[in-house]
Amino acid sequence: MIGLALRLLRLGGRRAWASAGLVGAGAAVATTLLTIAVGALHGLDERESRTAWRAPAVAAADPVAQLRLRTDSAAGRSITQIDLVAPVATAAPPPGLPRMPAPGEVWVSPALAELLGTLPADELAARYPGPATGLLGEAGLQSPDELVAVIGRPAGDPVLTVPGNSDVAPVAGFDVPRPAGRDYAMTDVYRQLTIVAVALVVFPVAGLLGASARLSAARRSERLATLRLLGASARQVTVVAVAEVTAVAAVAAVVGVLLEWALSPLVAMIPLAGNGWFAADVRPGLLACLAIVAGVALLATASAVGGLRQVVVGPLGVVRRQRPQGARWLRLLGVAVALVVLLVVNSALQVVSVDAMGIVFVVAILAMFGSVALIGPLVVRVLGSRMARGAGSVPGLLAGRRLLDDPKGAFRPLAGLTLAVFVAGFLAPMTAVVAGTVTADPSMLRLTAPAGATGLEDAARARLVSIGIPASVDTVDDAREGVGLAVLPADPAQLDRARTALDGLVPGAVVQTGAEQEHEGAMLVEDLQRGALVVLVATFLVAATATGTAAAARVLDHRHTLRLLTLAGTPLVALDRARRAETVRPLFANGAIALVLGLACASPFAAAAKALEPSGLLLLAGVLVAGTALVLAATAASRPLLRSVTAPDREGSR
Amino acid sequence: MNNAPILSGSRLTKRFGASTVLSDVNVAVSPGETLAITGPSGSGKSTLLHCLAGILRPDEGVVRLGAERVDTLSEGARTALRLQRMGFVFQFGQLLPELPAVENVALPLMLGGVPRREAVRRAAAWFPSLGLAGLELRRPGQLSGGQEQRVAIARALVAEPAVVFADEPTGALDSATGRQVVELLCGLAVRTGTALVVVTHDPDVAAACHRTVALRDGRVVRAEVPA
Ligand SMILES: Nc1ncnc2c1ncn2[C@@H]1O[C@H](COP(=O)(O)OP(=O)(O)OP(=O)(O)O)[C@@H](O)[C@H]1O
Ligand SMILES: [Mg+2]
Repeated sequence: MIGLALRLLRLGGRRAWASAGLVGAGAAVATTLLTIAVGALHGLDERESRTAWRAPAVAAADPVAQLRLRTDSAAGRSITQIDLVAPVATAAPPPGLPRMPAPGEVWVSPALAELLGTLPADELAARYPGPATGLLGEAGLQSPDELVAVIGRPAGDPVLTVPGNSDVAPVAGFDVPRPAGRDYAMTDVYRQLTIVAVALVVFPVAGLLGASARLSAARRSERLATLRLLGASARQVTVVAVAEVTAVAAVAAVVGVLLEWALSPLVAMIPLAGNGWFAADVRPGLLACLAIVAGVALLATASAVGGLRQVVVGPLGVVRRQRPQGARWLRLLGVAVALVVLLVVNSALQVVSVDAMGIVFVVAILAMFGSVALIGPLVVRVLGSRMARGAGSVPGLLAGRRLLDDPKGAFRPLAGLTLAVFVAGFLAPMTAVVAGTVTADPSMLRLTAPAGATGLEDAARARLVSIGIPASVDTVDDAREGVGLAVLPADPAQLDRARTALDGLVPGAVVQTGAEQEHEGAMLVEDLQRGALVVLVATFLVAATATGTAAAARVLDHRHTLRLLTLAGTPLVALDRARRAETVRPLFANGAIALVLGLACASPFAAAAKALEPSGLLLLAGVLVAGTALVLAATAASRPLLRSVTAPDREGSR
Repeated sequence: MNNAPILSGSRLTKRFGASTVLSDVNVAVSPGETLAITGPSGSGKSTLLHCLAGILRPDEGVVRLGAERVDTLSEGARTALRLQRMGFVFQFGQLLPELPAVENVALPLMLGGVPRREAVRRAAAWFPSLGLAGLELRRPGQLSGGQEQRVAIARALVAEPAVVFADEPTGALDSATGRQVVELLCGLAVRTGTALVVVTHDPDVAAACHRTVALRDGRVVRAEVPA
């Protein structure tokens, strides 16, 4: 039977290939997006394991070095500086280094080497004990554009002796299998956020897969009826129909994964946590890829079986199974359940730790997606009956009747965009909230000396005067531990020169502006906004693809009717208008509901009113306008198909 | 019977690639007249019907509806002409499954700009005379083949076209039902003064028509008026 299915596909001619192509294109796009999302998780893991050595296990005795990690800044970018004090030359070096750095050596990442080459020495290079010794290898770097310096220091270096430098730790070894350290809380936040992003993408993607698989299975109906006439059992027919979808989806999934691999250099350019990626990082491992392919094929199979269950394939043709109407209002019950889940999540968020935050989020999103999918067909049905009753024109009547006839089928092409609008409603207030959090001063350098240090202010002033930088220098009393110094260069362009001059004034102390100190937070904000944008673009792309696929499949589905209508003199314009009415009005109705639900879903985390602030509003409006245009374009894309299906000059009316 | 033809095709030739499907065919029908086109499968019957209806453009020859030349009109103008002056009945599957029977019949009127209420009223008026009383709100899927065909006939006639084209209208029906449907179609055409062109395999159907044109390999082999 499966052999027969594949044979039918192979010999099925242009129509069979056209519909297989539609399913395939949908599945491939979906798989690519899914792979990118999973790739981001994979990349975070890879980044973490490559940088784990920077938070190594602490030695009880006989350390191979004392390690200190600090963040420096230059030219508006963050530099990770790792000081290795009294390194044992014979010990195994950190990943990316050929050997343990000797005291006085400076190993830099390629990106830092480049920056050193472009900035004058007194803005950056002078901070280091010497010129760059060599380049750090990829094995020890978070990402290709990460700025890292590994500096060897002699035993007893002042870096160690500065009080308050609790960061210094004796290292047992750099071979760290799992990261274990304080500085990785940020990675956890990123991982949780990525899980949320994956969830936001995965459901629209599943919707796209489902839409294409179902429609393709239903499209096969004539041929399936013939098989039944020839004596095939209902089960055999199901196998034939489903085998084809599964085969196509599996091939498309492989193509989708390969596409992601091919695109990975581009995907790798999207920065997260301040840096881009190694292309290999954003390519999930072989096992994950196999799992993705299997999952996509399975999902397509399940949707195809579901699609077939809605019809009875008899020997004399395919009849749509009539559903009892009343049951449909039960859907509202599902929505009520989803709202309860949302409330539970809202209170759960107060108590769970960061590690579980993402999962809790995902549950809320799942509940909301569920209710959008439940409400959608109801809305379509109500709208359809209103349109059918009130329509004065043929397009309106046709559209209304079609919506009423099969609300679930009519909602399917819109489901993707509805979910995308939900996502937009969810993310817009969030980005508006985080955008308001960064306030730190970007021009005043601060550094902190141990309590009791004297003459700092004068020393700083002397250093600045000697290189001719006018600046105001003040001692700040409210520094929590020790003596604070605030330096404000008259010319902001001299920031890096001033910083370089002050470097080493207090050995090992960080000289940064307030903004630079809050760099990680600012980065997170930026990432959230960029991530939201990426997720939105992805979901809207998926939605447009789903709509295009479904619209094209719907044309193929109705081709016989459409053809006869044109033969009888119905203008193509009227058919097109009916199609549009069938799409746009339910889309707006469902979009409005999804938007409200999205805002509701975001409310535990951010006041929904934030969406009404200019930045949130702008994002929302932009996304909605672009998304609607995209979907309309996708629908319009099937116009040539409509024309070719209805063209009188093809194949006669047989 | 009015003798001036309402629809005529003269010297029609149609080629698909290298093969000539119609060559030098002449046909004409007058208002209230019924014309059968017969011939073996592949002889060009459907192609001739499509040329006459302005669905296909003949490579040579002239098609006229009344005084108007059809074959030289643009695609859009021919579509409009079909909507306003022609009706169609096909073998099967021509009704929109989503619409109730009466709305299927009202469709040509609504496409022509008649308000919905009026269109449905006029459509419903056809149902009793076609033996379809009470079936107005049924979906096509809930009708028998013969009923479906009668609904299609009502739809072809509702806009009072000049010509009705039927391609194997009884092809999917048993012979008794087929005969009923054809008698109904011919009777209504004569009564309303509509010209009718029927493509058929069935000698019974041809016998019910005023005239028959027989095709073989795209040529008219016999044009006769049965006794
Ligand atoms: N679009 C087309 N392209 C090429 N050849 C065509 C096309 N349409 C019809 N033909 C050919 O033209 C010839 C006549 O076709 P037509 O459909 O008119 O036959 P017919 O008499 O209606 O046959 P049947 O009784 O089987 O319906 C056939 O040989 C057919 O293969
Ligand atoms: Mg034919």
